[in-house]
This record gives sequence, structure tokens and C-alpha cells, in this order.
Amino acid sequence: MKRKLISVLLAATMVATALTGCGNSSNGNSGKNDAPASTNQEDKADGEGTDAEEPAEGEDAAGGEDAASGDGTTLKWAIWDKDATPYWDALKTAYEEANPGVTIEMTDLGSTDYTTVLATELSGGGSDFDIVTIKDMPGYATLVSKNTLEPLDTYISDAGIDLSKYGGVDSQISVDGKLYELPFRNDFWVVFYNKDIFDAKNVEYPTNDMTFEQYDELAKKVTDTTFGSQVYGTYYHTWRSAVQLFGVLDGKNSILDGKYDFFKPYYDMVLAQEDAQVCRNYADLSAEGLHYSAAFSGGDVAMMNMGSWFISTLMSSIKSGEYDASLCGNWGMVKYPHADGVEPGSTLGTITGLAVTSVSDQKDAAFDFVEWVSGEEGAKVMAETGNFPALMNDEVSGIIAGLEGFPTDAESKEALNVSNLYLEAPYAENVSEINDILDTYHKSIMNREMTVDEGIAAMNDEVGKVLGK
Amino acid sequence: MDEKKAAKLRKLEAESADLMEKIRTEQNDAKKRRMVARQESLQGKIVAIRGNRRISRDTKRSLVAYSFIAPNFIGFAVFTLIPIVFAFILAFMDWDGSNAITFVGLKNFLRLPGDTFFTAAFRNTIIYVVGTVPLTMISSMGLAIVLNQKIKARGFFRTIAFFPYVASLVAITAVWSMIFHPSKGPVNYLLLTVFGVAQENLPKWFSGNLVLVTLILFSVWKYMGYYMVIYLAGLQGISAELYEAGSLDGANTWQKFRYITWPQLRSTTFFVVVMLTINCFKVYDIAVMLAGGGDGKLSTSATVLVYYIYQNAFNYWDLGYSSAIAMVLFVMVLVITLVQFWYEKKLEE
Repeated sequence: MKRKLISVLLAATMVATALTGCGNSSNGNSGKNDAPASTNQEDKADGEGTDAEEPAEGEDAAGGEDAASGDGTTLKWAIWDKDATPYWDALKTAYEEANPGVTIEMTDLGSTDYTTVLATELSGGGSDFDIVTIKDMPGYATLVSKNTLEPLDTYISDAGIDLSKYGGVDSQISVDGKLYELPFRNDFWVVFYNKDIFDAKNVEYPTNDMTFEQYDELAKKVTDTTFGSQVYGTYYHTWRSAVQLFGVLDGKNSILDGKYDFFKPYYDMVLAQEDAQVCRNYADLSAEGLHYSAAFSGGDVAMMNMGSWFISTLMSSIKSGEYDASLCGNWGMVKYPHADGVEPGSTLGTITGLAVTSVSDQKDAAFDFVEWVSGEEGAKVMAETGNFPALMNDEVSGIIAGLEGFPTDAESKEALNVSNLYLEAPYAENVSEINDILDTYHKSIMNREMTVDEGIAAMNDEVGKVLGK
Repeated sequence: MDEKKAAKLRKLEAESADLMEKIRTEQNDAKKRRMVARQESLQGKIVAIRGNRRISRDTKRSLVAYSFIAPNFIGFAVFTLIPIVFAFILAFMDWDGSNAITFVGLKNFLRLPGDTFFTAAFRNTIIYVVGTVPLTMISSMGLAIVLNQKIKARGFFRTIAFFPYVASLVAITAVWSMIFHPSKGPVNYLLLTVFGVAQENLPKWFSGNLVLVTLILFSVWKYMGYYMVIYLAGLQGISAELYEAGSLDGANTWQKFRYITWPQLRSTTFFVVVMLTINCFKVYDIAVMLAGGGDGKLSTSATVLVYYIYQNAFNYWDLGYSSAIAMVLFVMVLVITLVQFWYEKKLEE
């Protein structure tokens, strides 16, 4: 019996070694699997060896070809929602025009589980992507910790890119002083409002310089709880960033701190608004799974804080008639409200970046694409499709404000000028876990399973555990 | 015949003789049978060596049998067995899917008790199983008994009872979300108007402590049709003579159920309970669909083990820890199933 057990364990270990070998062996090192019982250390060294070796070999082949013919480079690029997102194709076409001989091949991994699918694809080195789009910070942290991305610092300094043009975002995404992605899209949060509702109630429009008290008051003023003609002064989507991240706008706190008491005033405000029916109830929204666009386009929401990605949706959907223009066609936007004593124009942002994979065998060509997309030419293409490039300047905001369907008032144009941008999630190794913990207790607080204090205490405890690990 | 073969032959013969002796003295029947089988295979080998054949007839026969199992088994091994064995090993390792694996001993398991989300998931899963298994069993048996009577439109009602099982999960969870909607749902509307529950006390079916109740109710409703079919088959296997004899002895309906139906259905009930338990421990989709809200994330009041396993594996890429949780789930299901088998065997005796 004992001998049987030992032999089973032995067999299992062999299977495991074979499996761990698998990932690396696909890199093309055949000698590896011959060594039967490699320890983990050896495994690691071996794996690194293959990683370093393989691209070099590949580059030789590709490089040779390149030098001979001067064209025929094909770069593989991982993206999501190709048909619903106008800028992928626009960027591809514009880059190919500017760089004859380079073909960009896009692979659509879908948006719902993009990060998971991508991380799986890149695990084990079996993938052939050269460029990957980084959708969010947890995805970035995952891919960096899996060593699947190439540090870009030497490329950046070789190309002489001035990172200051990204307005400080680069420091929020650097990992131990290294950059693994360059941002090309940058969405920031603003407050959308429905002018018709304010006109009907004879209430002045929101402004670019509102404190939270003024915002709260305004929301209450425009609210109508009469059954049948209900108007909600404001609307918070079920994401936690729509509520708790008001707290990071003063620049003193971040979600990576592990202490979340600064969320409290904003939870108190939103829960009080729920009670007064100034905004829809979280439990209802969560049961319905209502989309924020449906909430705003329904014409009974006066103000809604949402990311700038909603601008292009609003413009195109009103134009196509998908949203009833008589309900929400007369919209405007203003900067985020601010806490007392804080400069107006501070807001939350989310960046989308491009990275070069560490298994790519044409890293230089791949970086050239990344540099182009995140640079001025790419920014222009992005702006023309109604999206916000990471590289914002007057020309770019001029393009967007000049698009058909953009509100014509000066305040809305001014709202595009961001003074301080705080990422919804700056880089941290454990950002996925922190995110999930905050999400969980956000749910508990908003569902009133916990009081605000209990919820915040639980956030402090649980994130503390993650940070202390 | 070379020397090696001769030596082997001698060894086999000695063993065979030894065994023969043992067989003669062995009292236990089961052991004796096993020994006889072993003796036969020894004899086969001896004959093979004497006849200078490479493989014995027995081995040949086994090989043929194995070759029939092979296609299925290879698939099973590649897609199930190896991953399971690998997961066992991973539970003691630290791995993110791409960097080197390191051995960490019991660290993953020691983390479990202090992990709020694990303990919440564990508790919720247990509550869900304890609530769902008996309720589903009772309601499906009840349905089966009712729909086994000769009533009008029996086929129609059977179809209705089976329908939730066939219907798409996504579609029916959407319907449930509307029916139990905290402020606009008909259930709460009834509570408000007919039962006079105050507006602020209306239950929120998808959050807090109630969410597990909703999950249990949903799952009972969805799966009772399936188990009803199994019970129907079991009921139809009961001989009508038993009931006839019961009637002649003057048994009333309850007595007939208690002394005929219930004992006759024992093996069906056993099967139903085992399958239900295993399926309930695996709950994931229902929880995410009903309690996940817009983003499919579960808070501590609704999180379940499989969800937390997925979360750790594919969101945090902590494959070691997630395997450790999977092991806990595995052992729990295994132990409960073994207990059920043991109990069933005891009843049989």
C-alpha cells in the first residue's frame, strides 16, 4: 500500500514537472524536457533562458527578412469589441498609411473578460501577440507580475519621448520605476446634465465650479417625487467609482492607502439622497441591471456623473435616433464637483494603454506602433472618432468640441479642461484584490447590509490584510 | 530457455505454491476469492513462460479490454484526471500561471481560516446546500407522487413542472429579478397592499440575509422538475400488487406511503440526494446571475466557494490558493458522499 502511494505521488510529480515544462517548451527549447527531475530553481533559470533565447532567434529570422525586403512586417494586436468601437480600425488604417509595408492584424478578444482571456493567452508563452491593449489597471498589474510585458523605458528614452505630456499619468502607472505601457486613451469623469429638466423646473444649470454642497442642493432642488412625473436630481451608477471615488479628488487620499475613512461623507451624501428619492435606489438598480445610458436617455435624470466615453455614445445615439432627442437631446456637461478648498477641475480618470509583449519577436516594430498611437498622430485619430486621447492639447479638445452634436455652450467646452487627473486605480501589485474588496463592501453599504461605518471598517481590515501580505 | 527465464519461473512457481497453501487455510470468503484470482494469473504466467510465449493469454485478454476503454480514458485523463492531480499539487504551491512554481507547504491552507471571503463563501455554500437538498427532494417527490395519479392533463402538468429545468438560466433569472424586484416587483407589491407590510420594511430579496433564501427558492423551483422525473421512474417501478395488498389490509393513504412508497423509493432517494448534494456544492451560476447585480460580482452575503475559486484563479492569478480552496470543496463533497454511501449500505443490511 505504502509503495503504491509513493509511486502515485512520484507519477504525479512527474506529471507536474512535465506540465510546467510545457509552457516553456513551446518556446522552442527541446533540450529542456530531457532533464527529468529539474528543481524549481533550475526550472526558473531554464525558463528565463528560453525566454531570452527565443526572441533573439526569432528576431534574427524576422530581422533578416526585414532587411532584405524592407517590408512585410505583420504585427498582431489584441483588442476588444472591434465592431462597436470605431477607433481600432481608424488607428490601424492611419498607421498603415503612414507606414507602408506594415500590416496590423487585430484579434478581438471581446470586452467582458478581455483581461482574463488575454492573461491566459499570454501565460506560458504560447501566444504570438506583439502588441496588447491594456484595458484596466488590474489587467496591467496582472500582466506585469506575470512577466508577459516588455519594459518600455529604454525604447522611450531611445525614441526621446517626453513623458510630461501625459500630465503625470505615467508616474501612476510605473512599476518600480519602469513603464510597461504607454497610454493612448484617457477618459475622465464629468457631470452630464439634462438642460430641459433644469429649464422646466426653472433652476439654474450646474456650473464648472461647484462644491459638493452646492451640487447636493442643486440635485435636491430639481428633484420631483410626484408619482407619474418623477424627476431624479441625480443618478449614480452601481460602480463603486461613481460614489466612493469622490473622496480621492482632493489629492490627499488614494485607494491604495488601506484607510478609507475619507469615503464616509460621500456615502452619507448619496445614501441621504437615496432616502429622499433624489437618486434611484441602489438595490433596485442592481436588481434591474439598468445601464447608465438608459437611465440618462430616459429623460428623468437631471444630472449624472459618468466618464467622458459617454460623450461619443450620446452624440452618436441621439443622431441615429436610438435615444429620443426630445428626452435627452438637450444635454450639457460640467466639471466634477469639488470639495471645499480644492481646485475645481480635479477629476477621476481611466487610461487605456498599449504594451509590447515580452514574447514578441519584432519588438522594435511593435514599439513604433505603440509610440505612434500614443503620440500626436494617434491622438488626432482618436479625437476624430469622438474619443479622448491620453495626449490632450488644445487642438485635440478643439476637434472634439467641434464634432457634430457636441453641446454648444462655453461651459461644456470648458469642462474638457482637466486640472488634476487621479486614476481610478493607480498601479499597485495587489490592485485586483483591493478593487474587489472595495467593490464588495461598496455593495454591502449601498444595499444597506452594513452601515457606512461598518463597511469602511471592513474595507480597512480586509485591504490591510492584503497590503500586509 | 535462458537462465533469467528459469529463475523467474522458479520464483513464480514458489509463489504459486505458497499461495495455494494460504488459500487452503484462509477462512474469509472475499480474501479467498481474491487469492484464487491471483493464483489463476500466476498459473497463466507460468504457462506462458513454459510455452515460451511473450505474453500470457490473460494479459492479452486484458490488453484487448483496455484498448476498448482507451479512447474514453485518454480523454478523461487529459482533460480531467491530470488537471485534478495537478490541482492537488498546486494547492501546496505558489504559482501565477507564468512565473516559476514554488513550493510553499501548507501556507495556502493556513491562510484559509483568516480569510473573511473564504469563510463567508464556505458558510454561504453550506447554508445553500442544507437549505436546497431537503427542500428539492421533498418537493420533487411530492410532485412525482401527485403527477403519478391518474389525473386529467397529466402530461401537461408534468411538462410544466419540468419546464424550469429546460428554460435558459439567464432568461429565468431575469424574470425572477423582475418578480422579486425590491420596489417594483409583484411579490413586494402584494406584501405592501395585501399584507400591509410597510414600505421601508419590504424585503430586499437580492441582498443581505435574504439573498440566500432567494437562491434556495430559485434552485428548488428550477431543479425539482428534473428530480421529479427520476422519482416518477422510481414510482412506476413499484409493483401495483403491493398497494393492492395494502388496501386489502386496510392501510390508509399515509400508511401506504409510509410502508410501501417510501421504502420502495429508497434507492431513488439515495441517488437524488447524492446528486443534489454534489450539484449544490458546485453552485455558481445561479448566485452570480441572481445576486451579482450589473457586474456579476458577489458580496460577502452571497459569495460561494466556486465563485471564490474562480476569483482567485483568474482575477488574482493565485492558482495555488485557489487550488487549496478547491481541495477544501473536494474533500467536503467526498466526505459527505462517502457518509451517504455508508448510510445507504447500513440501511440495506
